[in-house]
Formats: sequence, C-alpha cells, structure tokens
Amino acid sequence: MTDKPRVAIYKMSSCAGCQLEFLNLEPVLLDVVGAVELSYFVMARRQNAPGPYDIGFVEGAITCGEEIEKLKRARQECRVLVALGSCACFGGLPSIKNWIPERVVESRVYQNLEVIESTKAYGIDEYVKVDAYLKGCPVDKGELVEFIKGALLGISPHLRPHSVCVECKLRENVCLFVSQGEPCLGAVTTAGCGALCPSRGKVCDGCRGPANDANAESLARSFTEYGLHKSDVIRKFRKFAGLTPEFSKGAEAV
Amino acid sequence: MVVARSLTIPNPLVLLPKKDLSRLVQHLMQRYTVVGPVAKGGEHAFSAITDPAQLTLDYVSSLLPPKKVLHQPFEVLFSFHQEQGVLEEREPARGQVLFGVHPCDVHAIEILDKAYGHEYPDPYYVNRRQNTLIVAANCTKVGDNCFCQSMGTGPDLQKGYDLLLTDLGSQILVEIGSPAGEDLLQQVPLQPAPRVMLVEKEKRLDEARRKFKKRLNTSGLKELLEDNFRHPIWDELRQDCLACGSCTMVCPTCFCYNVVDKLDLNLKSGQRQREWDSCMLLEYAQVAMGHNFRKDRDARIKQRIYHKLAYYEPQFGTLGCVGCGRCIGTCVKHIDITDIMARLGGE
Ligand code: SF4
Ligand code: SF4
Ligand code: SF4
Ligand code: SF4
Ligand code: SF4
Repeated sequence: MTDKPRVAIYKMSSCAGCQLEFLNLEPVLLDVVGAVELSYFVMARRQNAPGPYDIGFVEGAITCGEEIEKLKRARQECRVLVALGSCACFGGLPSIKNWIPERVVESRVYQNLEVIESTKAYGIDEYVKVDAYLKGCPVDKGELVEFIKGALLGISPHLRPHSVCVECKLRENVCLFVSQGEPCLGAVTTAGCGALCPSRGKVCDGCRGPANDANAESLARSFTEYGLHKSDVIRKFRKFAGLTPEFSKGAEAV
Repeated sequence: MVVARSLTIPNPLVLLPKKDLSRLVQHLMQRYTVVGPVAKGGEHAFSAITDPAQLTLDYVSSLLPPKKVLHQPFEVLFSFHQEQGVLEEREPARGQVLFGVHPCDVHAIEILDKAYGHEYPDPYYVNRRQNTLIVAANCTKVGDNCFCQSMGTGPDLQKGYDLLLTDLGSQILVEIGSPAGEDLLQQVPLQPAPRVMLVEKEKRLDEARRKFKKRLNTSGLKELLEDNFRHPIWDELRQDCLACGSCTMVCPTCFCYNVVDKLDLNLKSGQRQREWDSCMLLEYAQVAMGHNFRKDRDARIKQRIYHKLAYYEPQFGTLGCVGCGRCIGTCVKHIDITDIMARLGGE
C-alpha cells in the first residue's frame, strides 16, 4: 500500500474513448501514475486491485439493470465519484435512443430479444450522487489533468463553464455561423475543448452539453430562420444532451 | 510611452507611390515585427507578417481588434516555484509596428492606454505599448456595421498615430504624427506632398462619410440610459441573447480579464495566466459562496451597453464604444447596439 490516492476507472455503455484518453495522456501519464495509483483500470492493467478507492471515474451511460447495480457498487467503493465524459454526465450519444420505444431500438440491433433487458440511457446521476462532471465526447485531456491536480490538492479545478464561442473567439476563428450560415451549437455548449471542431472548420455538435447559461430556445429559433428543418433542430439538440433541461428546451422550441 | 504626439498643424505630408509600399514595409520588417491585416477565410486577422504581400490594406474590419497584440487573449504573466518563488519572464523587447490600423481601433487603443496605463499601470500592457508604433490607415471603405462617424472616431483620424496613411488611388498620402513615425520613413525615398493632396484626401473621406448605414445618436446618452433601466427591450434581449460572450470578445475597448494559476503535475510549480473575460458570461459576476449579482441575462446585457455608453465617460472622459461594429457582425442573434439605442431613443 502506498499513500497515493487510489483511482478506479469503470466502464458502462460507452465506446471506451474517454478511458482511452487516460492512455493518450502519454507524455504526462507517468506523472499521473506517479501522483496517483491507477488501481483499477481494466483497459490498461492485467491485474486490478480491489477497492475502496479514493477517486472513481465512471465512463458511459447507464442502459440496463446490471449497470445500475455496478454503478451503485462503484459509488460505495469510491470516496469521490466522477462522471467521465458526456455519456456518464447526461447520457451522451447512447441517449439518442431515448425518444424511440425501447423494444423498437432493441430490435434494430439484436436478433434474440428474449435476453435483452435494456433501459433508457441515462447519465449516472440518475442513480447515484456524483461529485464532479468531466464533459466531452471524449473528455478533454487538459481538463482531465486539471481535475486530477485539483483532486490532489483538494481545490476545485478550473473548468470552463461558458460557451464554446469564447474559446473560438480567443483563437480568432472565422465564425461558421455568421460567416457561412452553418448551424453551430457553440453558443450554447460548454467550452473546454478549445473550440476543437470550429477550429477545424466543422460546426460544434454540442458534445459537451449545455453551457452554464445556455439559451437553447433562442438558438433553435435562429436555426429555423437559417433554414434548418424542425426535425434537424430536434436531432441537433438531442444528439448528445437531449436529456438535459436546457437542450430539451431547444429541441422543443420549434 | 511612445504614444504618438499630435503635432501642431500642419502635419508633415509626404506621398508614397503605392508600388513602393512594399519597400516601406520591407524596411520596417528589418527593424520591427510588423503586424497587420492578413486575409483569413474570407475575413481578416491582424498577424505578424513575413512578406509585405500578405498585408491586405483594403480590409474593412478584422476578426479580433489589433488590441490583441497589446492586451493578449491568453498570456503567461509569470512562473512560480515553491522553492524559487516568482520567476518573471519578460518578452525580449523587439519593437513592433501595428500596420494599417483603422481610426476606430486607434481610438480604442487610446482608451486602453487610459485604462491600463494611468491610475494602476499594468506592466505587461505598458511594456508592449512602449514597444509599439502605430501606422494607421484612414477608412475609404465603410463596412455594413460601421458607425464610427457617429462616435467621432472615424472614418478619419486626427491623432494617436505615428504615421497615418490615406489611400488616394495610385498614391498613398502619408502624414507624420511623431518623431518615431518620421524615423520609420528614413530609408524610403519620398516626395513632400503638395497641400492640394489634402483636398483629394477630403474628397475620398467625404465619399466614405456618405456610405455609413448605421448611426448612433450620442447626445444625452447617459440620461437616456438612466431613464430606461426598466425599458421592455431588456427583457426581449434576455430572451434573445445566447450569453455566448462573442460581442465582448471582439470589442476593441473591452479590457476585462480573468487570472488563473496553472499548476504543473509536480504541484510545486506553475504559471499564472490571464485571458480575456466577459461580463456577458454567467460566472463573471459570481462571488464567494456562489452568489451572483448579475445572474440574469438582461442584467448582463445592460452591463455591456451601459458600460460602453454611460460608465466609461466619467472614468475615462470618453465613450467606451468606438463604433467599430464588430459586436454587431459577430452576434448570431444580430443584437445591435445601434438598434438598442434607437429603440430607447424612440426612433
Ligand atoms: S463557429 Fe460556432 S463556436 Fe465559433 S464563434 Fe461561431 S457559433 Fe461560436
Ligand atoms: S466543438 Fe463542440 S462538438 Fe466539438 S468537441 Fe467541442 S463541444 Fe464537442
Ligand atoms: S454576441 Fe449576441 S448572443 Fe452572444 S452574448 Fe453578445 S449579444 Fe448575446
Ligand atoms: S461596443 Fe461594439 S461597436 Fe462599440 S467598440 Fe465595442 S465592438 Fe465596436
Ligand atoms: S464589463 Fe463587459 S463591456 Fe465592460 S469592458 Fe468588461 S467585458 Fe467589456
């Protein structure tokens, strides 16, 4: 046993892209491992040590009873529980299925429906108390490191609460919305990704969910003025964070 | 500060054939970092150039104002270390020339000089400002969102420059605003301009003056705003505004910033950084224990508009808006400071 904080990483319904970001931390990974003990990390370790843990990162949405149980156990074994990535924060991509009847969705994927017992896709705070949220699809490595440093020091990390537009402007990008009329969600989406998509000529898809004062209804009205069909507006707001009160208002505004 | 002096009239005038412009810039580049408008995806951005051909002096506006080279969007103020204390890293002082700055943006820099240079001098700003010369360019083109004419900040400039250019077609009229500006012309063969060129300049500027589409009535602004603190327009704007912060990010006179300490993973050393902040953002007015004294969007929009048009004046002796129109052009919701004031004024 060391006195380093012990960390566990759990996977629920997800693509594993967020935990992969831990491995992608490569240049700083050794420092991270030096500062914390990655005790339970199935993707990266052959042998995993049992709990309790100081920090647990949960990746993925919760989409079945089995995961609810696993999540509750995780909550019990971790002092601090973190939602890792948009799926765990508010449902993320898996939550696109929530507006289609469960049996219909299941039948699109599985042949034998008898063994399938899926539930609607929720973020983990539907079932347990969550201490911190790291948004993003996938999470931003910089924010991840910032969070770990904050946790080690016992201070709240500096995570951007405002819109992607702020970072987009700080990088002096040409605005895809006002210059090219492309329907960008950046104005209502939480920053922290460095305006990743607009900086590469793609509109923000809202993967980080609503910013702290997101006015999605107003943006939805602009989308229709710019010629977007009602069904496209709905799809946009439900792609990652349709379950959040802010984005659901956007989807319902038109 | 090498803030350009306004010389007693008449300013020395010279003519520069347009084909020699790149020679002038070439000479400047030998001694200075030259930062000017460069095309970027259909817009323009002030950038350090490596070739005079990169300059696009017929630009209308830039994405971010040239303010960005004096008060940078992101900057590291200093490093710190548990044992070594504070480690200052001042930039090497290579002088820079801001080239082709429009009158509105020069006025904005003068406002920043007051905010950052006077009562509580900001060493980072003052340091860069002292190393910066301004080659301004009068506007013979007017953008759809420009209203500097209403604000008394354009389309021509009276002071605040080291050199001032006016495009007269095949020639450029160059007015010298300071000894440092005169020095910039040392290496380039120039002919004194006949006084009649001033008539030609006025003709071009008059053409520009007729092209303004936007205006803002500045008489009695403070009273108008004071009387209309509860006007219904604020609630309409609350419903419209996205609180995205873009309007302040692009404003040449906004000077708000946030300071953040970034620790290294050893948790012993790190850097103190600052970056632009905006009163349009929810967290801006949040204080200890989570209280927020401007949590509603209407309160924040009012802060922006009142700050520009009512609160600057008593502090800096000038309005805080120079009419550059950037906040209008960048707003997804087309929220327009001139429309707001026209509504309040009953127009
Ligand atoms: S491109 Fe998108 S994120 Fe960037 S400023 Fe425009 S609306 Fe905002
Ligand atoms: S720009 Fe938008 S979609 Fe792209 S990574 Fe950032 S939040 Fe996600
Ligand atoms: S740019 Fe427009 S929508 Fe965004 S904060 Fe400013 S006024 Fe509001
Ligand atoms: S308030 Fe708008 S028009 Fe006035 S200086 Fe700022 S960005 Fe330009
Ligand atoms: S308070 Fe707002 S409007 Fe005034 S300078 Fe700061 S960001 Fe700009």
